[in-house]
Amino acid sequence: MIRLTINGRAKTIAADPDTPLLWVLREELGLTGAKYGCGIGQCGACTVHVDGVAVRSCATPVDSVKGTKITTIEAFGGTHPVQQAWIEAQVPQCGYCQPGMIMSSVALLAEKPKPTNADIDEALAGHICRCGTYPRIRAAIKRASGQA
Amino acid sequence: LKERIMAINLNRRSFLASASGLVVAVAIPVDAAGPSGMTSLHAYVHIKPNGSVHVHSPVTECGQGTHTAHCAIVADELGIDIASVSIETGMPADAFRRGTAPNKSMGTGGSWGVRHWYEPMRKGAAQAREMLIAAAAQKLGVEASTLIAQSGAVVHAASGRTLGFGALAASAAKMTPPENPVLRPKSELKYSRSELRRVDIPAKVAATHKYTSDMVLPGMVYACAKLNPVYRGEAESFNKASALKVKGVLDVIAIPGGAAVVARSSWAAMQGAEALDIVWKPSKADALSSAEISAAIKEGLGASDSAIARQGGDVTGSIKNATTVISVDYEVPYLLHAPMEPWNCIVHDTGRSLDFWGPVQAQDRFLSRIAAVSKYAPENIRLHTVMPGGGFGRRLSDDGVPGAVIVAQALKRPVKFFYTRETDLAVGWLRPAQGARLQASFDAAKNLTSWSIRTSGPSMRMDFGAPGSMKVGDLDGASVQNLSDIRYKIPNHKFDYAMRHLGPPTAPWRAVGATHNAFFVECFIDEIAAFMAKDPLELRRSLLAHDPRALAVINDCAAASGWSTAAPQGRARGFSYFESYGSLCAQVVEASITDGKLRVHKVITSLDCGDVISPDGARSQIEGGVIQGLSAAIGEALTVEKGRGIQTNFDSYSILRIGDAPTEIISRFVISGAPLGGVGEPPVPPVFAALANAVSKLTGKPVRKLPINEV
Repeated sequence: MIRLTINGRAKTIAADPDTPLLWVLREELGLTGAKYGCGIGQCGACTVHVDGVAVRSCATPVDSVKGTKITTIEAFGGTHPVQQAWIEAQVPQCGYCQPGMIMSSVALLAEKPKPTNADIDEALAGHICRCGTYPRIRAAIKRASGQA
Repeated sequence: LKERIMAINLNRRSFLASASGLVVAVAIPVDAAGPSGMTSLHAYVHIKPNGSVHVHSPVTECGQGTHTAHCAIVADELGIDIASVSIETGMPADAFRRGTAPNKSMGTGGSWGVRHWYEPMRKGAAQAREMLIAAAAQKLGVEASTLIAQSGAVVHAASGRTLGFGALAASAAKMTPPENPVLRPKSELKYSRSELRRVDIPAKVAATHKYTSDMVLPGMVYACAKLNPVYRGEAESFNKASALKVKGVLDVIAIPGGAAVVARSSWAAMQGAEALDIVWKPSKADALSSAEISAAIKEGLGASDSAIARQGGDVTGSIKNATTVISVDYEVPYLLHAPMEPWNCIVHDTGRSLDFWGPVQAQDRFLSRIAAVSKYAPENIRLHTVMPGGGFGRRLSDDGVPGAVIVAQALKRPVKFFYTRETDLAVGWLRPAQGARLQASFDAAKNLTSWSIRTSGPSMRMDFGAPGSMKVGDLDGASVQNLSDIRYKIPNHKFDYAMRHLGPPTAPWRAVGATHNAFFVECFIDEIAAFMAKDPLELRRSLLAHDPRALAVINDCAAASGWSTAAPQGRARGFSYFESYGSLCAQVVEASITDGKLRVHKVITSLDCGDVISPDGARSQIEGGVIQGLSAAIGEALTVEKGRGIQTNFDSYSILRIGDAPTEIISRFVISGAPLGGVGEPPVPPVFAALANAVSKLTGKPVRKLPINEV
């Protein structure tokens, strides 16, 4: 049994230690906000926070995050300022990649409250949006950081 | 209890998460007399007891914003606040089908979402409004002409009496739908043509929208497909025990192309599929390569067997009498759709009927396939369309249907059948590779005297069209898409196609054949202009001098992009114009190359789609279309070796990322008042050439092959 802290709550996990965190979140805990997109840490759809840092949960064995604080998009309840900015800027199209984009953006803004375009591009370099919402993502982050 | 569960499965749809978030239970009934008492006034319009409206749309919302436009159309005609309107895709039914019998079908594509459904949905909502008004007239004992519908109620202004839609629905449903309802005048339309907020966005941002991949049914198991990576390949045999060793694996079931590993979780199913010993059946496709396909395409460019799409004047004579003939060959690769949600669906055979939930873009195609595989009559199949994580044409192919149905029928319990990313890309039907030879002849004064376009390559319709609808040597409309109706006026012309059908299965990819034909034509126009020493935009103007509508679009884009002024230091601008799906689109791309690195700074689009029903939704489609087109033009190619695609995931199939996205995308509408055109696809084709033309200026070498990064 592995003990984890997820969204402020202690959880006991039955999965094998090498199971990637993504499948533990989605199937054992029913937290489906993080998505499966590639399984190899290339698309960012599975992004969650481990101690405030954006990580790819599809490539993170659950065993490796014991004792950390894990945050998923469900913790934000749709009311986080970044989520509000996402609605204001009408960002998503299909929406599948957006929880991951939002998680990386929240982590970016915690580190750099007034990010430049270059900061944004760097922070989101590990994400793919097939619908092409990148310009609106930049606009939403600027808005959330009071730069727009 | 069993009967009761079955009844719930049959009579309800749409999922709500249960308190635990682990199991999604069912809610929201479909039709009149359902448990929540929703009353149907029309196939599109259903009234809830509280008077709010639920719309059944003919279209799948893949993120293109169509559902928002449909909500606006219905809210406007009915007279209700758009916030009181909800929407989902309806189940296959005649009211949702497009086309003429026997080819009527329900599906999402061709950028038809608003341009086709605007009028039928307006009419349906107007019928519902008149039925509500007739019911109110009866109740109040007044003439219908003294009543108006507004804010979700029917109002008798003279007496101040008001009846809500909820209270009127039951009696309204008994009224005969008027054959010719009166549509509201434009001045009364509050939502159409205004800046709307997309109805599907809040749930996507909060991550509460359940994609098929997020849905869980009670008792559901997971089936991961392991399929022969060779196109159209099959399995010879497999060793079940090899997969059963993995904890949580329950079974391995043979399916077309391979096997499905069934397990208690998707992770266990994936691990089981990984562990499964499977022997692939040798096939003649095992040796197939992109080089072989490319050679066939090149041979087709000069071959004498071709199907003519359009010809006029005398091309042969023009070439014979020409002082100069320019002949250049172009080629584009196979492309993957690669939507972010890999294929998955949920199937439950209840013993009397079958339920199918999935990210479906071609409902009738899927329904027929499910019926053929399951042996259920279509009326005993309930096809639930779930908003997909991306479409772009990938959800048109029903390759994921047979395996899912076979496993569900073998197990008689709900099954989520899914592909890994690698499988999704390996078996995904592709935008065909295609080649073209373009020729132009000139007299001694460098006047253009003729042109011809020969396309050559695999036929999308041979794979995707109805079986038997196309044979070798036929003209595939996709390969000559938007050439026959091209507006450039060159009296001596010939456009034809030589089918060279080999390679992976192919299917429509956003904007289909226009994606390559715009590249061929619009790059060639720039090459012609270079030979004539003319500005490429001026050449286009002269070839479109007879066509004010086309001129208005290119002139708008020229002005907005500052075409007549010098580009900023180190940058070059490329122009392109192409018409597809009923819309005219001009684009300018501003790009630079520094230390070998191509960078797109700015893209300006001018689109004439007649009129714009949902402006921000349309801008969003232009932005996405521009980026998807740039992504393909810059870096995307699926290469075939040993019968399979060698790009198996996003580490090798290169999709444009945020750092390579233009910092400025300007979307402009030219409102011509012409019949509504499409929006989702028309901005895609011209961007390939606008970029290539900018790159040609920067390098001094024409771009004739894509993707740019691999040449």
